[in-house]
Amino acid sequence: MIDLLLLQALLAATPILLAAVGEILTERSGVVNIGLEGLMLLGALAGPLFVDYLKYKVGAQVPDPLWPLLAILASAFVGIVVGLVHGYISTYLAGDQIISGVAINLFAAGAVAYGIQAYWGVAGYKQVPDWAKADPYVVATFALALAVFTWFLLFKTRLGIVIRACGEDPESAFNMGVDVNKVRLLATVAGSALAAVAGAYLSIAYLSVVTKEISAGRGFIALANVVFANWNPLLAIAGAYIFGFFDALSYWLQTMGVGRYEITRMVPYVATLLIVAGVMGRAKPPRALGKPFKRE
Amino acid sequence: MRFQTASAVNIAAALVMAFAVGTALMWISGYDPLSSYSAMLITPLSDWVYFLSALAFSAPMALTGLTFSLGLRAGLFNIGAEGQVYMGALGAVAAAYLLGGPAVLPLAFAMGLILAVLWSSVPAVLKIWRGVNEVISTIMMNWVAYWVTIMAVSTAFANPLQPEESVKVPEPARLTPLVPGTDFTAAVPIAYAAAFLVLIFLKYSVWGYRISVSGYNPIAAKSYGIKPERAVLVAFALGSVTAGLAGVLQVVARPPSYSLARNLANVYGLGFDGITAAMLGRGHPVGVVLASIFLGIMQEGARHMQIEAGTPYEFVKVIQGLIILFLALQLLRK
Repeated sequence: MIDLLLLQALLAATPILLAAVGEILTERSGVVNIGLEGLMLLGALAGPLFVDYLKYKVGAQVPDPLWPLLAILASAFVGIVVGLVHGYISTYLAGDQIISGVAINLFAAGAVAYGIQAYWGVAGYKQVPDWAKADPYVVATFALALAVFTWFLLFKTRLGIVIRACGEDPESAFNMGVDVNKVRLLATVAGSALAAVAGAYLSIAYLSVVTKEISAGRGFIALANVVFANWNPLLAIAGAYIFGFFDALSYWLQTMGVGRYEITRMVPYVATLLIVAGVMGRAKPPRALGKPFKRE
Repeated sequence: MRFQTASAVNIAAALVMAFAVGTALMWISGYDPLSSYSAMLITPLSDWVYFLSALAFSAPMALTGLTFSLGLRAGLFNIGAEGQVYMGALGAVAAAYLLGGPAVLPLAFAMGLILAVLWSSVPAVLKIWRGVNEVISTIMMNWVAYWVTIMAVSTAFANPLQPEESVKVPEPARLTPLVPGTDFTAAVPIAYAAAFLVLIFLKYSVWGYRISVSGYNPIAAKSYGIKPERAVLVAFALGSVTAGLAGVLQVVARPPSYSLARNLANVYGLGFDGITAAMLGRGHPVGVVLASIFLGIMQEGARHMQIEAGTPYEFVKVIQGLIILFLALQLLRK
């Protein structure tokens, strides 16, 4: 039973890891995106909706194993579009990043509820068909590899130094010939795409359902994980696994018949609060985080 | 941190752009934009009953809008109104469970407000004591509140006669419609009066001044002998009073059920609507009330839109998100 719990924790950790790694990339470049929750929601809807449309409305012939991949790509595409909007607001327009992020969350909450109703004609709940489902362990492995890759990118390559310079000291980066806003925009787009893929994972791999509340706070747990990991993708693996463990534990306790369902569902949120409160003192965010860069 | 407020031009532009994008979205998904917008915005104004119902919708949004506005004043991004509304409603239901008769009403206010303030004290204390970002802590508290309330209304406070809702507020303790045949209860004047009090508080009280100064510039505040931590605490506490009030009123002053739905449908999302109201209302109590009336009209209109044009109710939330997005686009940090 315990080994099953640990495997379940890995699956529960995956969306948080994907979104957190993306957000670390974004925040290391100096942009905050608190719209992760909304991006997850949009991604969770976009993938299944796109492949359903392609299969039934367009009548496209696609080899079966490709459907989930197409779904994930569709979600990533939506993430890229939203990331471009948020990135553009946060860089060239020097807009308010927090308000923009909140707008993404509010818009997504409405758009997903509306989209499920408008497309499938059902209120807020749609099963994902078997042919569109992806193997959650494949995505979980991808997420782990991606975290290691992002760590390597950020700390062992020249590009990583450039990205981090934009987040720490954009003035100097600019004087060294770096196009700060362009780097930030691209980092935001990449981070948003990953958050949307995390959403696709929820709907087509992990939960096999699209609902209007499918993200259930995971976007914000991912934000908490960024702080916990001190903006380091490798530590984010540990963080995501701890958060995932509590998520899985809540379901595990439920199947074991321990405690009431509602109490066990609170576990991940309470754990997140306690963990963030515990590590907050030593968190060291990028110095220029959330501050738009303007040439003097 | 400093948040900028929008100008009237910003707001007008955001509305125009949001409705334009909304038109495109409706067109793509095969609904008629013209009849939808007409049902959403004109129908609620065409009949007194509809308009009073729109005002009834505006009351809780004005109150949660005040929560968010008070946070902004103190430099906080307090999105915990959602959970505090649940707590307010839970307190009211607990009062209905514990007592009978008219005594339920004062107890509902007392318990609802106390629970909401207690709930907000967790992120407030974590912020002051550990520097925990309030965005994360309030969202986590919202989810805990969600499950606490769901559990309470499906166990101890369940209604044996109606499985869909909690125990009801007894008739003598209800705030019934002031205009018979509508949803317009004392909740509306109470909410607007609360906005007026918050306005007086912010403008004329010492603490209101302290909150504004420490939100504007915490370092300067310190040099004037103001403790920003205390301003944070006061802003959180006062914000939770208005949010808790919204929750209590949804139970004691909202026909026809006078109870809390098992799935929390009659309180769900009110905290987040308040963010929209606060942003549109420029964080100013009067603006928040006006914005909440506008949102109330949209909410009431959504019902008509679904019936008259067949466009899903949820569409108004899409529009609201777009409005805020286009506002963010214009709020340039200087």
